[in-house]
Amino acid sequence: MASKSSLLKVILLGDGGVGKSSLMNRYVTNKFDTHLFHTIGVEFLNKDVEVDGHMVTLQIWDTAGQERFRSLRTPFYRGSDCCLLTFSVDDSQSFLNLGNWRKEFIYYADVKEPETFPFVVLGNKLDVTERQVSTEEAQQWCQENGNYSYYETSAKDATNVASAFEEAVRRVLAMEDRAEHLIPTDTVNLHRKPRSNTTCC
Amino acid sequence: MPKCKQQQRSPTPFPARRAAPGPPRMRVLYEHEGVFIHSSSEDSEDQGLLVSGFLRIIDKDGEAIVDYKPLEDAVDPTNMLCAGKDSSSVVEWTQCPPEKPHRTVDQQQSCETEWDMVNTISFRRKPYTNGEGGQKNTNKWAFSISAVDLKSITVSAEGWTHVTFHLKDDTALPTIHFHQGGSEGFMECLRKCVCPSDESLFFVSAFNKALSQSFENLLDDTNYGLVQKLKKDPYTTTLGGFSKVTNYIYDAFRGSDLEYRQRPPEEMADLLGEVIPGLEINQQEEPGFEVITRVDLGPRPVVRRREPLTVEGWLKYQDPEGRMRNVPDLKKNIFKGGLCHAARKEAWKFLLGFFPWESTYEERKVLQKRKTDEYFRMKLQWRSVSEEQERRNSKLRDYKSLIEKDVNRTDRNNKYYEGLDNPGLILLHDILMTYCMYDFDLGYVQGMSDLLSPILFVMESEVDAFWCFVSFMDQLHDNFEEQMQGMKTQLIQLSTLLRLLDLAFWNYLESQDSGYLYFCFRWLLIRFKRELHFPDVLRLWEVMWTGLPCQNFHLLVCCAILDSEKQKIMDRHYGFNEILKHINELSMKLDIEEILHKSESICLQIKNCKVRVCLQAGVDVHSSSPSVTRQLLFLCAQDIPPSVGEILGLTAAYDTQTAECGKPDSSHLTRALHRPEQAVSNGHRHLTETPRGVCTAAFIS
Repeated sequence: MASKSSLLKVILLGDGGVGKSSLMNRYVTNKFDTHLFHTIGVEFLNKDVEVDGHMVTLQIWDTAGQERFRSLRTPFYRGSDCCLLTFSVDDSQSFLNLGNWRKEFIYYADVKEPETFPFVVLGNKLDVTERQVSTEEAQQWCQENGNYSYYETSAKDATNVASAFEEAVRRVLAMEDRAEHLIPTDTVNLHRKPRSNTTCC
Repeated sequence: MPKCKQQQRSPTPFPARRAAPGPPRMRVLYEHEGVFIHSSSEDSEDQGLLVSGFLRIIDKDGEAIVDYKPLEDAVDPTNMLCAGKDSSSVVEWTQCPPEKPHRTVDQQQSCETEWDMVNTISFRRKPYTNGEGGQKNTNKWAFSISAVDLKSITVSAEGWTHVTFHLKDDTALPTIHFHQGGSEGFMECLRKCVCPSDESLFFVSAFNKALSQSFENLLDDTNYGLVQKLKKDPYTTTLGGFSKVTNYIYDAFRGSDLEYRQRPPEEMADLLGEVIPGLEINQQEEPGFEVITRVDLGPRPVVRRREPLTVEGWLKYQDPEGRMRNVPDLKKNIFKGGLCHAARKEAWKFLLGFFPWESTYEERKVLQKRKTDEYFRMKLQWRSVSEEQERRNSKLRDYKSLIEKDVNRTDRNNKYYEGLDNPGLILLHDILMTYCMYDFDLGYVQGMSDLLSPILFVMESEVDAFWCFVSFMDQLHDNFEEQMQGMKTQLIQLSTLLRLLDLAFWNYLESQDSGYLYFCFRWLLIRFKRELHFPDVLRLWEVMWTGLPCQNFHLLVCCAILDSEKQKIMDRHYGFNEILKHINELSMKLDIEEILHKSESICLQIKNCKVRVCLQAGVDVHSSSPSVTRQLLFLCAQDIPPSVGEILGLTAAYDTQTAECGKPDSSHLTRALHRPEQAVSNGHRHLTETPRGVCTAAFIS
């Protein structure tokens, strides 16, 4: 399949209020609204990007973070190509919950090989002065849990947001390359639905 | 007396040892794991409990026993029965290693230890607490009944199949849910066991394919993580097997001499032909049980809305002591036009039930005083929690942290809540915290701040806003509960309505895996709060609070909005994602008056249907062949579908209308439809749940 125009599904997970929607909006629309509503239900936005010469449509899914809504959020995990585990650097609890989010994702997305699945960790709200989670702590966690890429971002001032999403794309593409090497025939990635735009079938 | 026993067993409930030579001789005829009891619906104490267990049919010295045993009993390897790979085959009891069940249990346990959060809902097991001796293996959900004690069995499907046994002494056992399939085999096996000449035993089937698909994704992931792994759980197979069940039903009837035999087929046919003119009959090639679904609801009446009720208008309904008079008329006025903003502060307290309509000024003063005290007492409770205490109260801490975050993200573009250190934010915060004290089990759930914000905006008083919010939450409590049962129910009801109103669209959604209407989640959770402009939310809510023109009017509001969007969705061939996106993006683009017009119009359209009869059998009314008789039976002796009439609370209206019709034909039909205890249906699609008691006609003209 032509991976050039492929659709990558990326999902943002993390505690309520860590800035998932803000990260998505910053990346897709380059806007930031301090007073953005908290997400109810599930939303997604598409963005076409070129990463290392590959054109991809990034479909970014944003969910309600409260535990209560788990049952309504988890059905949307399936088919994700990458998961962005998000916490807020000024909220240690949200950092401590990363492992739970990871497990929830692996479980409900039905990830076959959790060890190699591309996770990217985002420590958001870098702009806030009172940090509760240090860079070292976060990096250590990433190292210990699967050598994930770690990005400290600020949706508010746009720091590292694009880089983080691009890293997600890279991770997925790298996975794909590896898979192609392993099975070097004309395989079809079932998760990928090549699509030129959203309205046409 | 039935031999229904709450099993009191020794630690080895099903004595595999006894399977060896000693009596009694037992054979497992059927066995299936992953059959559930939802305790929440059976016993409020154990709310939210899902009991997973084994269902078996055992031949005990020629007596067929239906045995249900919760997993914790069943996992003991010494208790394990082995029914062989093919559950329909009969295998002697042996003591063989229970591979499959064990794997299941391991999975669950690993999951539990890994992350409590994932499993707070699923698979919590509860030991029998009030039993004598507190035997460890006794479980109050276990039951074991002899097939001869069965009076009837209700089989329904809402995304999965569930079965209820009714015993001859009129007790009903807890409904068992086949979340992991297997109902077909069970019914088949039971059918073989039960003596067909037992006239009193019928199978009441209420299969519902309509919803089978719909909740699949939602529910299996929701509560039954394991089911997700069995995604392929064959609904289709279940439904395919359904024909066997209906055949069985017929066989059962044929074996007996029922009243319908006395009614000549011609008479029945005429009856139907007259009562339901224009009925589209879709006769299958094979004699079978085709479902008739096509219904013409008739035109949508034009409705007029009125001007909002003014303060003067409101006061006209008040007597000198302050009692509100002619409340039905008042409500109708509010329904038709809403309220002027100035009238809201007073009127909302009545509409929400904070003030009783018949109360006097004096009584309200007393009430307000009492409620003020009560409010501040509860407020003091959380305010006096020290940091130390808070450290030890993770629940309160979590609520507080989320409230602080969400209050800062609620209607901040509204003047009333904008800017830094807006006092409105503090009020929102304090009221929500106090609500946590008022209902600590529910606590704070995202969405509540959305519900409170307009109320506080109108009330401009902390105490009044709190109590009005409490009333509103009383209506919406189920939406926010751990299991979100309210949301599930509403989505199912909405699906039922939509199916009646617009089958083509409903089919389209179904074909796009969107039949469970997830995209309406936000609408329903917070009653369109995020979909409409702030002033329009106020209008919609006050209209809804009148309770007019029917119950669950908000579902018709959903239908009205969807009605306006369906063409776009279908023409552009939107798929699952696009539908979700399209609906999400309707936010702030909707016209409240247009929606209210259409919703009311749809309601009238449904109400205007003169006879609502739910047809579920394909009937050739002009034929007099015996097969028609049989089909007529299915048609007439229909199990009540909760149907549109029930959802909208129009059942009473139906009765009246039928009575008003005064036609002998329709009363005939009604009588035919009211034959109790012969409830049989082969409805593939319509039904969602079983009614109590008799069979009745339901929706559709």
